[in-house]
Amino acid sequence: MSQAPVVSLQNVTKRIGSRTIIDRLTLEVNAGEVFGFLGPNGSGKTTTIRMMVGLITMSAGDITIAGHSVKSAFPQAISRVGAIVENPEMYKYLTGYQNLIHFGRMNPGITKARIDEVVALVGLQDRIHDKVKKYSLGMRQRLGVAQAILHRPALLILDEPTNGLDPAGIRELRDYLRKLSREEGTAVFVSSHLLSEMELMCDRVAIIQKGELIDIRSLRAESAGAAAGMEDVLFEVDRPSEAVTVLEGRGSARFVEGGFSVTADRETIADMNARLVQAGIRVYGIRVKVKSLEDQFLEVTGGETIG
Amino acid sequence: MRRLASFWKLVQNENMKIYRRVSTWIMLGITVAIPLLVTIIFGLVAEDNNANNWGAMMTESEILFLLVMIFSVVKSAESVAGEFSRGTIKLLLIRPWSRASILLSKFIAILLFALLFTAVSFAVTWLANVLAFGYTAHPDSLIPSQSPLAGSSPWLFMLRYYLDEFIVLAVVVSFGFMLSAAFRSSGLAIGLSLFLLFAGSMITGLLMLADQAWIKFVLFPHLGLTTYLNGSVPLSDYPTTYAFSLGVLAVYFIVFNAVSWTAFIKRDVSA
Repeated sequence: MSQAPVVSLQNVTKRIGSRTIIDRLTLEVNAGEVFGFLGPNGSGKTTTIRMMVGLITMSAGDITIAGHSVKSAFPQAISRVGAIVENPEMYKYLTGYQNLIHFGRMNPGITKARIDEVVALVGLQDRIHDKVKKYSLGMRQRLGVAQAILHRPALLILDEPTNGLDPAGIRELRDYLRKLSREEGTAVFVSSHLLSEMELMCDRVAIIQKGELIDIRSLRAESAGAAAGMEDVLFEVDRPSEAVTVLEGRGSARFVEGGFSVTADRETIADMNARLVQAGIRVYGIRVKVKSLEDQFLEVTGGETIG
Repeated sequence: MRRLASFWKLVQNENMKIYRRVSTWIMLGITVAIPLLVTIIFGLVAEDNNANNWGAMMTESEILFLLVMIFSVVKSAESVAGEFSRGTIKLLLIRPWSRASILLSKFIAILLFALLFTAVSFAVTWLANVLAFGYTAHPDSLIPSQSPLAGSSPWLFMLRYYLDEFIVLAVVVSFGFMLSAAFRSSGLAIGLSLFLLFAGSMITGLLMLADQAWIKFVLFPHLGLTTYLNGSVPLSDYPTTYAFSLGVLAVYFIVFNAVSWTAFIKRDVSA
């Protein structure tokens, strides 16, 4: 996509006293993308998010949202953002609906119909007129999402959104975020320290550690493969040694249980399959091996555990 | 105009957060109940002496202003510091509004709260005492003979009293606001402002010992703005005029608000 990124961080730095909390962070998030922001606790995720929404100032660098600088054109920049920073804290003595009216009034053009629409979207219709103090954490999280999307933001920022959600809730949130990014083209920026969740949710992730950006990588198998050209493939066959002899000279094969694995591009894989079948070897399955995010993370951080 | 209309929505939000709380209605209940109780007690004991509606109203209003002051300080501390302790400040500040607008909307809502309680106090004390004692057009004991308003109607005297007390209220509220914006903790803001209010006369007394003319510029004596109505002055050793007191209060009002503004706008929110 040649579109301008929805949010762009340029050399963002935060120093408190002599300590550098965030060090020259540069990254971009595009429209329609779910972007994961991954790092151990205390690595600067929340600090970065607070700078993105203007709650704390930057010591250096700048952040632009939909082309507006958070520093010099805050109201314009922030009007395109919906966010939950840390926990979804609401006015507990108000009902869910009154909370939404409250935040709705702060953006132009939010009608009663839009509030009802969002309430239905996050599935809170039955409880929306209850006081928030009676809500479970999962319901508060939904209400948090509701207030964040009321004004149809171009950028949705969620800080540890799966905290306190049960597996069904996490799945629902994931599906919902996908829908939002695909259908409305919203850029979604999610922070987490949970690798497996990020893996299911995100298109790309940035990994930060001690305030420094370590790596940005794509998580979609097709795009990753297309970029690299090569994929790790596992062939499940009945006679592995014979199969490897048949494929002699076509890349280095490694024996694994129930078959062998090779590194090859897509066309070669199809050719290999044809040869194997012609040679009378039974091919039970061909699988692309996708490295888990955890593997990748350990690779880039040199084995330091997170979480 | 559109800008003003949407700014009014911020004030509406603050009003919603004040009046959807049970505590606000308890405060209002107390403000109504106390003058009624005092009137009943007056009515019982005053059968042979000559209590009139204006005298009883004045006594009750003095008590009520103390209460309304406490309530307003509590609400102003809650309004700013409460957002920080709840964490809702993060949702409040990530909207297309400057922090100055948010703080101004809160200040206006608190002034409206103080105004409402002042109006309720006036209405209840007037009504209750007229019902209990009948209406006296020319009470002889309400206005002291040395008062600048001597000889005028009790209405004028009473309205001036309420106006003076409301001015003091506005200064005290901005003081509570300042502490709450600076400390971001409602407990500390409430405690400290009430301590200073009640210890004010004591502190003034201590400073009097120093026998210095600068005591005229200390805030506390001027919080007794209604002293002038009785033809007296807040500091007997250093006589000041009503206009001078108003000036001192105005300067403190501006300073308190400037500090709240700076504390609220400049500081990082990492709560």
